[in-house]
Amino acid sequence: MRATATVMGFVILVLTGLSFMNEPEPVSYQKKITIFFQHEINNKALVLGDSVLTTAGENFTIEKFRYYVSHISITDTDGKITQLNGMYFLVDESNPASKKMEIGFSDKPIRTIGFLLGVDSIRNISGVQTGALDPLNGMFWTWNSGYIMAKMEGTSSGVQQPGHRFTHHIGGFRYGINTARNIRLTLPQNQQNSSEIHIVADLNRWFKSKHDLGVAANPVCHTPGALAMKFADNYSTMFSIHPSVEK
Amino acid sequence: MRSVKKITIVFLIILTGIGWISIDNRYFKPKPIPFTIPKGWPQPVYDFSKNPLTEEGFALGRQLFYDTRLSRDGNFSCGSCHQQFGAFATYDHPLSHGIDNAQTTRNAPGLFNMAWQKEYMWDGGINHLDLQPLAPITATNEMGETIENVIGKLKSDKTYRQLFKAAFGDETINTQRMGKALSQFVLLLVSSNSKYDKVMRGQASFILPEQLGYDIFKKKCVTCHTEPMFTDYSYRNTGMPMDPFLKDAGRMKITGNPKDSLKFKVPSLRNVAMSFPFGHDGRFFSLMNVFEHYRKNMVPNNHTDTLLSHKLALSNFEIGQLTAFLYTLTDSSFLQNPRFAPPGFTNNGKAPIDIHQ
Repeated sequence: MRATATVMGFVILVLTGLSFMNEPEPVSYQKKITIFFQHEINNKALVLGDSVLTTAGENFTIEKFRYYVSHISITDTDGKITQLNGMYFLVDESNPASKKMEIGFSDKPIRTIGFLLGVDSIRNISGVQTGALDPLNGMFWTWNSGYIMAKMEGTSSGVQQPGHRFTHHIGGFRYGINTARNIRLTLPQNQQNSSEIHIVADLNRWFKSKHDLGVAANPVCHTPGALAMKFADNYSTMFSIHPSVEK
Repeated sequence: MRSVKKITIVFLIILTGIGWISIDNRYFKPKPIPFTIPKGWPQPVYDFSKNPLTEEGFALGRQLFYDTRLSRDGNFSCGSCHQQFGAFATYDHPLSHGIDNAQTTRNAPGLFNMAWQKEYMWDGGINHLDLQPLAPITATNEMGETIENVIGKLKSDKTYRQLFKAAFGDETINTQRMGKALSQFVLLLVSSNSKYDKVMRGQASFILPEQLGYDIFKKKCVTCHTEPMFTDYSYRNTGMPMDPFLKDAGRMKITGNPKDSLKFKVPSLRNVAMSFPFGHDGRFFSLMNVFEHYRKNMVPNNHTDTLLSHKLALSNFEIGQLTAFLYTLTDSSFLQNPRFAPPGFTNNGKAPIDIHQ
């Protein structure tokens, strides 16, 4: 009787133990790094809905600004690369929480940080995704499957479109028209040991850097192709590390 | 001593209980549905390992397919324009009717044998079956709804929460699961039991005009309408002049390549007798119109398929025999299978004559 009870008890214990096995094992890093994305226009913080003047002399207001960040990788001062695959972030100016992301990393000093602006082609052809990549976030074309890598919308007095609106939905993942861009930024020496990385996006460069894409001349971009590629070239130059981090 | 034993037992029961709270999914065992590849058919392209077919998933997909709440005004379901008796195309309509008296810009294609298709829509713009429903749901001239609202409506419905749990193991409702469930329903729409199929399996034989038609078909049509799917899923320009109102450039809209101007996907000819009108914009009301197009009315240009650069010679006799053959592609057991009808609808309780598998 007692033996049976013991065996039964043991079996139950094992079963109970097994039921906890699905819990993912937490990966422990010595250090947490917080990446902040800041958006600037004319060297001032971007405020959605505020009217500003571009260097091109165009007066405009940005109402929406969002883009995907994925495949974050960090190289430490020994040259070791740490990849963070499978993490996709939708940075959205209207959602402050989305402009800040926390990642785990060893306590080695950091030399560079890299990321893909956009979504890799695999995720563009693998059906419906979840989380940041859920098509309900409005960053997916349903009629021509694929992610909008980055999106800017607003108004500008010079735009000859209804409501003077401009809409830049930049996407396309196929070879030759791929608008995802790899970006790598080197940290200044005095920030290599900081637990915060402040990345600044200069929105002026969206319109004018590698290509001159004045908003009045290019108010609408909604399809993959040559114009989208030019915008992608421009936004690939948009990012830099904030020179001084406030402590 | 006794009390120690009692305490031990009570303790073990509690422990087991705690285990059960967290396991939840351990005993989630939906009933799998085997996917049968008809004899002689190629391997499907759909990756079933990512979305295993189950009775519960299929039931949810069927419920969603026929649910008009997926549209903004609650009037349109997928099934509104994809009608079973019309091989899941819109019967007798060149273009379908959308929300607020809108018209679609293309003829609704029939839905069957989707597991073998790699790209969807007349222009192939959609690269995965699970993504396909998002296009009609969000199109302003079709169902006119946002994905966010649809997911919200499903989440607030207790029945759906149960259906999602039965299909996927928990009550999470998201775009991915909705797409997968709809795919499960659509993937099982296999049409492989027409008279043609029975002849190929040696279970029936063609009458003379059908056989003559089949011989002509193999000489003149089969390059693009390849057996057994009756399409090679390529995009071709068949010399159809652009409609001045629709201004539909076809495949070029997706690739941006001028060479793809006015190219559209080769449609399958299965169930062709039930899926009129024909053509990407439904401009041909009858098979006769289609034959007339190929032998007389087409307007070839630089991008027209080379197979058709001199049109397609067809005599009246050949048209007659071809028509007889094409009628053998009607799969009445598919068109009447109560399994694919709206939930609760049983075709007046009459079982179809013959169900494939």
